[in-house]
Amino acid sequence: MKFLIKNILRIIPVLFIISLIVFLLVRVTGDPVSLMLPETATDAERAQLRESLGLNDPLYIQYFTYLGDLITGDFGESFRYNQPALGLVLERLPASFGLAFASMLVATLISIPLGILSAIKRNSFIDLFITGGAVLGKAMPNFWLGIMLILLFSVQLNIFPVSGTGSLMHFVLPAITLGTAIAAEMTRLIRSSMLEILGQEYIRTARSKGLLEAVVVNKHGFRNALIPVVTIMALQTATLIGGTLITETVFSWPGMGQLLIQAVNLRDMAVVQAATFIIALLVIISNLLADLAYRYLDPRIKYD
Amino acid sequence: MKKLLTFGLLFVLVFSLVACSSNSSTSGDEGSVEKKTEDDKELVIATGADMVTFDIHDHNTTSTEAIHVNMFNYLVKRGEDGFDPDLAESWENVDDNTWKFKLREGVKFHNGEELTADDVKFTLERVANDNKLLEHGNYSQIKEVKVINDLEFEIITHQPEPALLNRLSRLGSGILPSKYIEEEGWDKFLENPVGTGPYKFVEWKKDDRVVIEANSDYFGEAPKWNKVTFRAIPEDSTRVSELLTGGVDIATNLPPSDWERVKDNEATEVAQGPTQRVMMLVLRQTEGHATSDPKVREAIDLAIDKQAILDSLMEGSGTVTRTRVTPGNTGANEDLYGKTLYDPEKAKQLLKEAGYGDGLELKLSAPNGRYLKDKESAELIQAMLGEVGIDLKLEFLEWSSFADKYASKSFDDMFLIGYGNSMFDAALALDRLSSKQAEGETDYNNPEVDKLLEEAMSNMNAEERAKQYQKAQEIIAEERPQIYLYQLDAVYGVNKGLNFEPRLDEMLYVDDITVK
Amino acid sequence: MRMFSRIEVKKELTLEETKTDKKAYSLKWLKVLLNSKTGTLGLIIVVFMVLMAILANVIAPHDPAQTDVVNRLVPPVWAEGGNPDYILGTDNLGRDILSRIIVGSRVSLLVGISAVFLAGAIGLVLGLISGYYGGFFDRVIMRTVDAFLAIPNILFMLIVLAVIGPSLMTLIFVLGATTWVMYARMVRGETLSIKERDYVRSARAVGAKDIRIISRYILPNIISSFIVIATLNVATTIILESSLSFLGLGIQPPDVSWGLMLSDGREYLATSWWVATFPGVAITITVLGIIFLGDWLRDVLDPKTKTN
Repeated sequence: MKFLIKNILRIIPVLFIISLIVFLLVRVTGDPVSLMLPETATDAERAQLRESLGLNDPLYIQYFTYLGDLITGDFGESFRYNQPALGLVLERLPASFGLAFASMLVATLISIPLGILSAIKRNSFIDLFITGGAVLGKAMPNFWLGIMLILLFSVQLNIFPVSGTGSLMHFVLPAITLGTAIAAEMTRLIRSSMLEILGQEYIRTARSKGLLEAVVVNKHGFRNALIPVVTIMALQTATLIGGTLITETVFSWPGMGQLLIQAVNLRDMAVVQAATFIIALLVIISNLLADLAYRYLDPRIKYD
Repeated sequence: MKKLLTFGLLFVLVFSLVACSSNSSTSGDEGSVEKKTEDDKELVIATGADMVTFDIHDHNTTSTEAIHVNMFNYLVKRGEDGFDPDLAESWENVDDNTWKFKLREGVKFHNGEELTADDVKFTLERVANDNKLLEHGNYSQIKEVKVINDLEFEIITHQPEPALLNRLSRLGSGILPSKYIEEEGWDKFLENPVGTGPYKFVEWKKDDRVVIEANSDYFGEAPKWNKVTFRAIPEDSTRVSELLTGGVDIATNLPPSDWERVKDNEATEVAQGPTQRVMMLVLRQTEGHATSDPKVREAIDLAIDKQAILDSLMEGSGTVTRTRVTPGNTGANEDLYGKTLYDPEKAKQLLKEAGYGDGLELKLSAPNGRYLKDKESAELIQAMLGEVGIDLKLEFLEWSSFADKYASKSFDDMFLIGYGNSMFDAALALDRLSSKQAEGETDYNNPEVDKLLEEAMSNMNAEERAKQYQKAQEIIAEERPQIYLYQLDAVYGVNKGLNFEPRLDEMLYVDDITVK
Repeated sequence: MRMFSRIEVKKELTLEETKTDKKAYSLKWLKVLLNSKTGTLGLIIVVFMVLMAILANVIAPHDPAQTDVVNRLVPPVWAEGGNPDYILGTDNLGRDILSRIIVGSRVSLLVGISAVFLAGAIGLVLGLISGYYGGFFDRVIMRTVDAFLAIPNILFMLIVLAVIGPSLMTLIFVLGATTWVMYARMVRGETLSIKERDYVRSARAVGAKDIRIISRYILPNIISSFIVIATLNVATTIILESSLSFLGLGIQPPDVSWGLMLSDGREYLATSWWVATFPGVAITITVLGIIFLGDWLRDVLDPKTKTN
């Protein structure tokens, strides 16, 4: 309990710093006015809009206004949609969550067996194939993979729908696209944590006692490897959310990633701030949960 | 060695994936799309960007208006020749500042309310008076809407406004239900918009789709489709793939690289038509810039083979032009349209005469990704100017940085831009070249052009006004504060079972789209 | 810092327990290099790429910016319709893809390496301050690290680049400014553990200055794991750059990078596969080489997880 409170308290300064970073990012040099108006707008129209958006106040006043609003949960209004930014972001969360969950599922299904297999068969052909595949998976940019998958599985083979949402089939290609990069990273991490465990004293003891290899791996190895896997999964949260930015654009998935990209392009700063904040909060919470799970799974862990 | 072998194998796998997906594209029948048939009463259109808002006064996006036109009606419609009635049955010019309109009888909004002159007053005065709205600038000429009775009203302008009908037949001119909005509030309207058009609102899932359905009470011809879906698919290749697999019936902004594929496919075809957007180079005439010399400007114009750019980048679509006021606009100078100048030898000669025989270095700023093939066009222009001895330094700016520089008028010698014109009138197109507007940007200053533009601005004699604009265009084409390159085409991928004619204004009137 | 990544911290800690004996080092390096085929391969690839970047202007068969409207989208020489002038074919403006890959290696590697240097420098300084002095600085720096970790890299970069506009310098700056946190955490962890060792304690007891302790005892112990992480990060940075290009915020023409070529080529994936494929292969091979090299360095520098 004490651990939990301590960690939750620690979130506060982190959030404060995030608010400062986000504010500086979007306000210091950004002038949304020229983006909001068409090429043919006049100077008077620009000045008018700037004034009405409060962009003429000194920077620190803008920051404190912003911070005050933030504490009351007011992230301002999206000028693109004329709606409260926070609502827009929350409205998109389910779609992004769905995609992230499906991708994590794909990544887990791929990486756990492959990671363990390559650790057990260390330096064999299989191991090399898997680690090699992981490098390729990592080096392949998301957008490229996504477009390739559409061309092959939708246009050529006509198995999956091209884009959009609506059915379970719609999840397959985006989830594979986003899941691949995550799987590549996770496979590497699982392999090395598995190797570490397999190299440990008690496994060697178990082996020397003449236990079957399968039993050793299953009973001693896998169970202990599971603990870091939980952490590894939680650590991918930031990467996962980052990946939705590109994957959602390729598959026109109506989630937070697309909202954010368009908000950045149009300098719809209220939305950018709200979304960044929510994402940061999600990452922090998932890491906190991972910590809790870790404690629960492995009671030997002690915290100073 | 084993590791190397493995990678060799993996590479082969990835490559065969690439090969699989590309080679077969030459076979001529990709995807599984079937032709649209008569009993299919649903239409799906894929656009490159999501709709922006249902506040028709607070956006300036053509692609959003393209959807709205199916749900709202203007007072008058731009027709082949002049203006056609829409919500307004008839109109007349009472005096220079007063226009009298009579509404069609028995028009109902989607919520059952009857259309009256009060709705017109509410709609037009809102955008004319609220300077926070993005369309305000295009309606602020309206002083007042005077309601005479339920069906009759007068629009009074501050100054004589020859282009009033142009203003009333475009983005922001849809008539809104005043009672509904006043009773339920704007938020409710934005969530559940109500208009008079042939289709009514069903659903808007942001960054995904807008769905509308037939309005059986429509005052005009009965709607042809039961349900129409506009899907937002920003990634070009995804949009094309949807078309090829039959996921959508029409895809807008088809990238030139995919035209061949779409044509080769049995059930899809390419439809293209001119738009209001004209690509141009804008040149600074400020003292100290080489471009202040008219010979240098002419040399630049003559050195660029505009048709070659269209041929190599846009598969030949688009039309070369020497004016920005293209046919279909009030005041267009058709003598300058479809014409272009290209004579590299003379360009070299002119440069020599101007004292730049040994070469000249200029800087061109261009946006990257804003207009069709903008980056590639600039790169070709660079190569073409290189041929006549102009060393062109290119500066590419992603749109937001470009827009910043544009607003602060801080480009160097020249910049590349594509202007649209939703007003369909020469006034908007040439306004930027009056000495007052041009100050700091091109610094173009020609008293004769100033005079022509100013007189035309409030000239209620349509014929004389058009002549004034045509004359101004002639002078501009000779003096080249802007060098016009070409008018862009809009290109659509269309299911072969459909009749679809691209419109100059890029609106997507779905009832004009029919099954063959 | 417990909030994040226990695994990474743990791995970093084991990495760091390197010995300072320099002679043993060079011997081991040589031995492992000879033993490791992949390490050798990685080294060869990396050296090849670096040489290519340095000599780009000499070895590129064509001017990478030279457009040739007649020879647009020419397939590679071995494919039907290929032209021996353009070994890997041409892009949509008729520019030679091979030359663009060769010249593009400059920007790609420059961005990758400079960003890693910048991130490493920031991370090293802040990590040292944080670990060595502790207290208030430590708390502020570590909370800042937490904050940065909570914002996905790509998102951070997207916002900054959209605001200040993409250019070679801003790209390097942004990539550096987002990835410094992992160095800071690693350096802090190492510093904390080394600080408590007997020889550091005794040096302190005799009144050695902080600067001396850091440069004499702490830095040499950190540098090997630092190099490993930095090497692997060059690969990550090159990949990130291509994602930024997809979003239109990467390298801007007339500069050319592999990421930009890949992203521009995506429009032609279905019709002219070579435009996007070859820059993709260049990225993959380079990433592969760097990872091999990094793994090999790890084996050398960290006896614990050595592959035989």
